[in-house]
This record gives sequence, structure tokens and C-alpha cells, in this order.
Amino acid sequence: MRRLARRRGGYRANRVAWRWIAAFCLPALLLYGLFVVVPLVTAFYYGLFRWEGIRQGEFVGLGNYGEVLTRYPLSEEIPAALWHNGLFFVGTMAIQNTVGLGLAVLLYRNPRGKRFFQTVFSLPYLISPLIVGYIWSLLLSPSFGPVNFMLRTVGLDSWARPWLGEPDTALPVLILVNAWQWVGGPMLIFLAALGGIPRELEEAAAMDGASAFRTFWSVRFPLLMPAVGVITVLTFIGCFNIFDLVYALGGSDGGPGGAMDVLGLLYYRTAFEGGTNAIGESSALAIMIFALVFGISVVLERVLRRREVTP
Amino acid sequence: MLRTRRGVVAVVAPLIIGLTACAPSAPDSASSSGAAQQITLDVWGWRQEDVAAYKKIFKIYEDAHPGVKVKYVPYKSTEYDTILRTGLADANGPDVAQLRSYGLLQPLVAAGSLVPLGDEVKELGAFPETILDGARGVTDKKVYGVPFAIQTMHVIYNKAILNKHGIAPPTTWDSMIAAFDKLKAAEVTPLAATMTDTWMLPVQQEIFGATTYGGHDYLKRMLAGQAKFTDRPWVDSLTTWKGTSKYWGPQFEGTSYTDAQALFTSGKAAMFPGGIWELAAFAKAGPELEMGIFNVPPAPGAAVTEPLVPGFVDGSFGVSAKTPEKAAALDLVRWMASPEFGKAFSKELRQISAVPAVAPEDPLLAQALTAYQANPSPYVTYAYFSGGTPTAWDLASESLSKFALGRSTADQAAKHVQQGIDQWFKPTP
Repeated sequence: MRRLARRRGGYRANRVAWRWIAAFCLPALLLYGLFVVVPLVTAFYYGLFRWEGIRQGEFVGLGNYGEVLTRYPLSEEIPAALWHNGLFFVGTMAIQNTVGLGLAVLLYRNPRGKRFFQTVFSLPYLISPLIVGYIWSLLLSPSFGPVNFMLRTVGLDSWARPWLGEPDTALPVLILVNAWQWVGGPMLIFLAALGGIPRELEEAAAMDGASAFRTFWSVRFPLLMPAVGVITVLTFIGCFNIFDLVYALGGSDGGPGGAMDVLGLLYYRTAFEGGTNAIGESSALAIMIFALVFGISVVLERVLRRREVTP
Repeated sequence: MLRTRRGVVAVVAPLIIGLTACAPSAPDSASSSGAAQQITLDVWGWRQEDVAAYKKIFKIYEDAHPGVKVKYVPYKSTEYDTILRTGLADANGPDVAQLRSYGLLQPLVAAGSLVPLGDEVKELGAFPETILDGARGVTDKKVYGVPFAIQTMHVIYNKAILNKHGIAPPTTWDSMIAAFDKLKAAEVTPLAATMTDTWMLPVQQEIFGATTYGGHDYLKRMLAGQAKFTDRPWVDSLTTWKGTSKYWGPQFEGTSYTDAQALFTSGKAAMFPGGIWELAAFAKAGPELEMGIFNVPPAPGAAVTEPLVPGFVDGSFGVSAKTPEKAAALDLVRWMASPEFGKAFSKELRQISAVPAVAPEDPLLAQALTAYQANPSPYVTYAYFSGGTPTAWDLASESLSKFALGRSTADQAAKHVQQGIDQWFKPTP
């Protein structure tokens, strides 16, 4: 009897669960299919043809891919853009995520005003990157911008410069502005992760006489690895797909001498400032960018997951 | 959407007309739908700021053509090309569309979205060939639009500042440089030069460098394959232009287009090298601003002895191949090639009409047009080498930026352009 009841109950529970799961997943799956899978497949399909304006022409197989990779100046712009995306990623990891971690640790150790600062640091989140870009390009303008004005007023005349006009400073400025906007993200994730570390581990370390520095690196940081992994992958995807902020700061050409040219801008130019075969070529480029970002994200995830430890 | 609504109007209108007896006058002969006595022609464009002006302009046409309504439907300039490409693909799109010129027109021609106008609009015969080039398909050489505006490029100056420093508009290169030096010594930025918006760089290069390479004569040889961007004259024209960089103001590297405009309208800079299209915006930003224009005199070692005035066709009006009102649409663009339209256009929009023999009322525009007609020079990278990918205009924007910032030599900058267009450009000897 009992076995039967359990089996029947279990059976019913499974059945209900399955239906519920389906009911809950279906809308998301539909949206995902419609807005992610369909465009992706369409882009792949479009990329296999030559286009004349909006008229689909002959089938060219991987011809558009070859065209995009070999045609001057795209053949030189693609590696340059990749390099800039890479630098942007490294810079963002080094600045945005390090500062985010630092802020998280400070707020965790000193909970006074925690709510307030959490809100303050996350506030730029609410502004569209385009607006952030325009605001910063106004702030940094050499003719009218307050940043240079302030530097001059305090006697740092030699520091005042056309920040977004010089190829050497443009990309670092991009990294800083981007970090200014998103630093709240890693901070919140790290804060949550820090809260999840059992107190007794830290107490044990303290009992063993470990310094605060040692406690952080030997106890807390290894336990933060899952958060580090998530943030690294998200940062990577964000950095390799960046478009709006760079566009607002440097226009579609990627700033002075193309110093901020990234894959997103390259795609934009190919698609919207391209010639007759713009649809074919930009689709091919989009698929290549997707393959790159997807491939590296998967590898990154694998590598980082292997380094995770559990308390 | 619009068509559907018009369809409803077509069904409902006769009923209402029957009831109220306020029928419109005789149906237009061009009407194709029979039931509808009122034809509405949608004219798509990218000039949101011009809606009121176009309303006035089209009113003239509507008054002369009862039963035809012309509606200007503007889209955001930066999105217009994409919207138009899709819009032209079906009958619910525009009847008549404002078309970009030269290279940007080619995708629409290639897609077969437009009606060739050569046989339909006889008035085009009076337009100079160099103006029609702006509305021509590069492969079939057919004309697909009625050019509406000519843009010319000059140095625009602030009269008050020049008067204050006792400077007359220069007539020789040396007197121009002397004027720049004088202004610089008085701590006025001589030239509000745009740097970060790289599309302005080829404009400035044409303004200062055209006399060095020689304008249309050199272009003719380039199109015939006898000269290249990498040959001395064009390379030197880059050097001529960059030679003025010490007058571009402090930290010019970071000056954007809007910065440069603000420098000029606020009186911080005395001159603005740019297109005649700036006048309207400048007048709006500084109603008190008194402006003049001059053309850059031949540079030392120039190929010509007269100042050259670079100019190009800004765009044209073409007819959608898919329009159900083709006859009425053709009628409208035929009118757009007439002096009546040209005059109204020039008056309402404060621009130079492309219609031959229409003189602008505005004295500065009239001066610009007269100078252009006397010594016209092409906008080479934008107009004549933009029919393939990559366009010389894009290539020049990139390479002139590197060159002006000191990241490449003039030869490298020119090579970038030549190497890019060599992949598609076929000279016609």
C-alpha cells in the first residue's frame, strides 16, 4: 500500500512537475527561439549569399567570409579591432573588477552606510551607455570640457589634453568610463559572494595567526573563485560585444586614428555604411564574431570552473 | 499602413462626398485607382528639420494640381538609408524618395528599387553632367533622381572678428597665412577645424588642398587611369592642408564637429572651413553673427591659378519602382526639375538649388554658387570613388585622421586610399 501510494504520488508529482516545467519554460523558449535562434540562423543563411541592396543574389558559400577577411582595409582592421577588444577586456578586468572587488571588501568589512554606497556605486547602471558616452565626451572636450578646465585651475596645465582626440589616451579613457559605469556590477556580485563565506573559516584563520592580507588571499579569494569566474565570463562577453559606449565616445570610425576601433563598430560600418553587398558581408562578420565570443566564453568557463574550490 | 488607410479613404470618401457635396475638383488624369479622386504622394526624406519648409514648397504643387496631395515623411537621418532600403521594397513605401548621392545611391540602383528617369524627365537634359553624376548609377550610367541641392565648400568667416583685426578676406595664399598669424597673435583661434568627426577631414582637405592637385583636370586623369591618389599632386594636397594645422587651435586633436561649430558661433574662432550647409545652423545658433565666405587662394606650387570651389550634389528625388501612383510620382519629380521648385526650395531651405539658372535670394548662397560655377572643383573621394567597397571617402576619413594626428606620412595616407579602391575601381580610358 505504502509503496503503491508513494509510487502513485511520485508519479503524479513527476507528471505535474513536467507540465509545470514545460509551462514555465515555453514562453522563455519561444522568445529565445524567436529573438536569438532565428536571427542567428538567418544571419548565417544571409551570409552565404551575395546581396544587391536588399535583393538576395547568388549563392556564394563562404565567399563573403573570404571577402571580409581579405579585403583591404578590413583585413587590417579586423586584427586591430580584435587587439583593441582584447586590451579593453584586460583593462576592464584590471580596473573595473579589481576596484569592484576592493569596494566590495570595504563595504563588507565596514557595513555602515553599506546600503547607501551600494546604491551610489550602482547608480550609473541606470543610464544608457550612449548617454554616458555623450556626457563624458562633453566633460572631456578640450575646448569646453570641465575636466581640462579643472586641471588647469589647479595648475596641472600639462595634464590637460584632448583625452578622446589622442590615439594614446582614447582607449584608456574608454576603459575608465566603462568601468565608471559598470563597477557596481562586480561589486554587488562580490559582496554577495563574500557574505556566503562561512565565518568560522575566517575565525580559524585568525586563530592560526594569519594576517588580514593572508586571510584574504588564502581563505576568502579562493572561495570567491565562482564569482570571479562568472564576472570574468560576463566581462569578456561585454567587452567583445561593446558598441554603444565606443560609438558615443568616438563615433563609428573608432576615435582618433581608429584607436578605439572594436569589432562592434566594424560590424556597424560593414552593415550600415557598407556598399551593395552590405547584408552578405555584415552577416558573415557577425557570425564570425559570434563564433569567437561563444567559443572563448565556453573555454573560459571550463578553465575557471576547474579552479573553483568549495568550503 | 498608410496605404491601407488610404484604401479606407477611397471607399468611404465617395460616400461622404456624396453626402456633403464638397467634392474635390476634377480627378487627376494620373489617378490609377479610379475610385479615389484624391492621390496622396508620400515623399520620404531624412530632413526632419525641413518638414515645415517642404509643406510650403509642396503647397505650390498641390495648388496647381488639384486632387494631388504631397506629404513629406521624414525619418531620422542616420537610420534613413536602412529604412528606405526596406521601404522601397514594397508598395506601401514611398512614392517619391529623397536619395543620397553618388556611392550611397548605388545599393538602391543595384536592387532595382528606382525608376530610371532619363526618358521620363526631359527637364534633366538642362542639368550639367557633373551635377547629374550625383544621381547616376555607376554601372548602367542611367540617372535615377532629380538632384535637389548643390553643396559647396568654403572658409566661412566671422565678419566682426576680421574687421576688428583689420583683416580683409584674403585673395592670395600669403595674405591668408598672414591673416591667420595675425589672429593667432591676438589669441583668436584662426580656424575652427573638426578632428574627431573624421568625415569632416576630406571636406577640409578639399578646401585647402584642391588647388594643389588641380580639381576636375586631375579627376579626369584619375578616372581614365592616368593618375592616382598616390601620385605627387594628390599627396601634396594633403601636405598643403596639414600645413594649416598650426592655426587649428589648441588641442585640436580632440575637437569634435559640434565643438568646432560652437567655437565659431561663440566667437572663439574666427573662421570655419566647411560646407555652405553650415550657414543655416550658424545663423540659428548665433542670430547676431555676421558671416562671410572666401575661397582658399591657390597654394604655393598649385596646379591652377584661380581659387577652386569644391562642390557636390547633396541628393536627389527619385521615384520608387513599386509605387502604384507612378504617373503622378513622375509628374511630381518633373516639377522638381523646374525653376518654380528650384526657387521655392532655395528660398524656404536656404540652400543652393540644383535646378539650372535658379539664383538663390540669399547673398551668401548666391556668392557661393557664382564662385562654384566659375571655378568648380569635385569632391573627389566622396563623389567619384564611392561606387564600390571600400569607398575612397571612408578610406580618406581614416587615413587623413592618422595623418593629421602625426601617425602617418602623407604618402602612407594616400596609399591607404589607393590600395583600398584598387580592389574595385576600374578606370575608363
